[in-house]
Amino acid sequence: MQEEELQKTEKKSAYELFFDIPVGPQHPALKEPAFFKFRVEGERVVGVDVDVSYNHRGIERALEDRNYIQNIYLIERICGICNVAHTLCYAQAVEQLHGKEIPSRANYIRLMVEELARIHSHTLWLGVAAHEIGFDTLFMYVWRDREVVMDLIEMLTGNRVTTAINTIGGVRRDVSDEAKDKVKKGMNILEERLKYYRKVALNDPTVNARCSGVGILKPKDAIRLCAVGPTLRASGVKNDVRRDDPYTLHDEVPFNVITFDTMDVFARVLVRIDETLESVNMVRYCLDHMPNGDVRIKLPLSPPVGEAISRVEAPRGELIHYARSNGTKNPERYKVRTPTFENLPSVSEMLTSKSDYEVNIADIPITLASIDPCFSCTARMEFRDVSKGKTWIWSLKELKAHCSKSRR
Amino acid sequence: MDFLLELLQILVFPGILFAIGLAFVYEWLDRKIYARLQNRVGPLYTGPSGILQPFADFIKLLAKEDVVPNEVDKPLFNALPIFALTLSLTGFLALPIMDLRGVISFNGDLIFLIALMTLICIVIMYSGISSANRFSTVGAERAALQLLGYEIPMMLSAISIGILASSMWVYDIVSIQANSLWFLIGPGILGFAIFVLCGQAELERIPFDIPEAETEIVAGWLTEFSGRKLALFRLTKDVELLYLSGLAVALFLGGPSGPVIPGLEFILYPLYFLLKTLFVLFLLTTLRALFARLRIDQMVNFSWKYLVPLAILQVLIVRVVV
Repeated sequence: MQEEELQKTEKKSAYELFFDIPVGPQHPALKEPAFFKFRVEGERVVGVDVDVSYNHRGIERALEDRNYIQNIYLIERICGICNVAHTLCYAQAVEQLHGKEIPSRANYIRLMVEELARIHSHTLWLGVAAHEIGFDTLFMYVWRDREVVMDLIEMLTGNRVTTAINTIGGVRRDVSDEAKDKVKKGMNILEERLKYYRKVALNDPTVNARCSGVGILKPKDAIRLCAVGPTLRASGVKNDVRRDDPYTLHDEVPFNVITFDTMDVFARVLVRIDETLESVNMVRYCLDHMPNGDVRIKLPLSPPVGEAISRVEAPRGELIHYARSNGTKNPERYKVRTPTFENLPSVSEMLTSKSDYEVNIADIPITLASIDPCFSCTARMEFRDVSKGKTWIWSLKELKAHCSKSRR
Repeated sequence: MDFLLELLQILVFPGILFAIGLAFVYEWLDRKIYARLQNRVGPLYTGPSGILQPFADFIKLLAKEDVVPNEVDKPLFNALPIFALTLSLTGFLALPIMDLRGVISFNGDLIFLIALMTLICIVIMYSGISSANRFSTVGAERAALQLLGYEIPMMLSAISIGILASSMWVYDIVSIQANSLWFLIGPGILGFAIFVLCGQAELERIPFDIPEAETEIVAGWLTEFSGRKLALFRLTKDVELLYLSGLAVALFLGGPSGPVIPGLEFILYPLYFLLKTLFVLFLLTTLRALFARLRIDQMVNFSWKYLVPLAILQVLIVRVVV
């Protein structure tokens, strides 16, 4: 809701006093720089104003100054947790520019690491969600078991979080047979633990009390507001890039698209747990069906002139990269659209009280967390002249013109 | 001489010094058990197994800068931490530890003890409101609402024991339980459960840590307090934890009584007191590890739907038994 609309609500309170609760840019519920201003009446939230422009890192511009190989490592740092999705998306876009296919074994490894990263991301989220509702015991347990997948990722790629496995033309490391056995063992542990957490989520009365009926997003609104990923699927819409527009080997590796129809935070918890279980099965499939062969083809540094769009289902939802090449070793334009940015309108819908349901202050953290936000990837700019009260947005061209003017 | 002895009892044992020392140890135990239940190690480095960690935290906070924001109600803001600590220490003095009666003991002190707990909660409300902070205000509001939820079942369960002993004197209650095992575990067991649950709410611990819910309202009513004031409030919480488990022991578990060798009461009574309070502490800590935080409306709902009827049932049971 915009500032003006917030002002309008001023006069209609039974308490005769609204006040604003700031959540962020520093707040224990959000570890990232975003600002939410909630207008509350007692415990009830009546309005919300969102501002995510705290951390504009200028990554897209920086990408244009570096060559394609250097960009892999910059792209990876857009988001720590989704780093596999970002490099995968980038590598796909550049390979598309080159017009080359990568070896099948490389595709299997890419898919496997992607799914391992999904397991890691979703278990991390489950822990954070438990912490947001004050269930620290579940938080500690989930994060303890997450170490299993972290160790596997470290063994396969050499790094715990920032994996740097995907590269242009394939992957950097092969998977040995011993590593395969270890991954299989790890998957067994994870499957057992995840089934247990599913049981906990379903049976614990306090988890139920805090998650059911909170943060409702109806399918109609979810589609209208362009929600993506688990947020959309928890509203009962069957939508997954892996199924709708298969990349790597998602058309070969069988999996189910998980949906739930309760549309609330509880559904988002269950969707993520079930997706993790699907990922466990996909990793197993990859291990069993991985062909022998090369894991990488050599590609020249500069792709031919052209443009490419690549889509990946990141743990948080659909991730889109766009690249335009002018034949040099640097991209001419690179554009990243992250899933959190797409989910922000939905979160403001979830946090607005309506006639049939009320949002409490206590629901704010878990509702915000339910989209698995990653605000560092989302900063966008608008300009505001405070003295004139005018707000405008510049196109890229105008912005560049302005920048070069001020540089002089 | 008597006066000196009494002063010694109030200041050293089983009075203020003992209370504060024990409170730190109990906080350590609470943290350690909580950590073990979560598969963590808990405090480890300060002293053997980290036993000095709460004390070190306290000293550290005392040394920190004490910020008083411009907008706060200064006299209240400065005085409230001291009030809170005084109230909880006063309560501790009335607990039977060395003897079947506390250092302060008079006919009707049960009412006084329960009133003290409500007073602590009112101090908390004032600290929230005097801070003039949005999070604090919401925290204070929640503390008041929560008081509405747990106070009545807590009082009813305590008073039911008073009815059982036909007296509102903690000394009488402890003696009647010391003399008969039936009164110890029989009619009061439901009341004990209610008391422990409400104690959790009084202490603002999970699932009832609503007034200071970290992820929702930062630190609730505590948000603006820093340095010495925060140290005092944390100490208050520790002493209150000790006081509440002590009160639960005195009312429901026979206080410091137990099988004694004549002549050794002065050692054995405090020992029994420690063992029994440890049991209550263990219950409180386990409860903390088991649940997610409730919402304030759910808490008040739960309390009036289940705790209050059960507390009334407890009073009825006691009436029938007596």
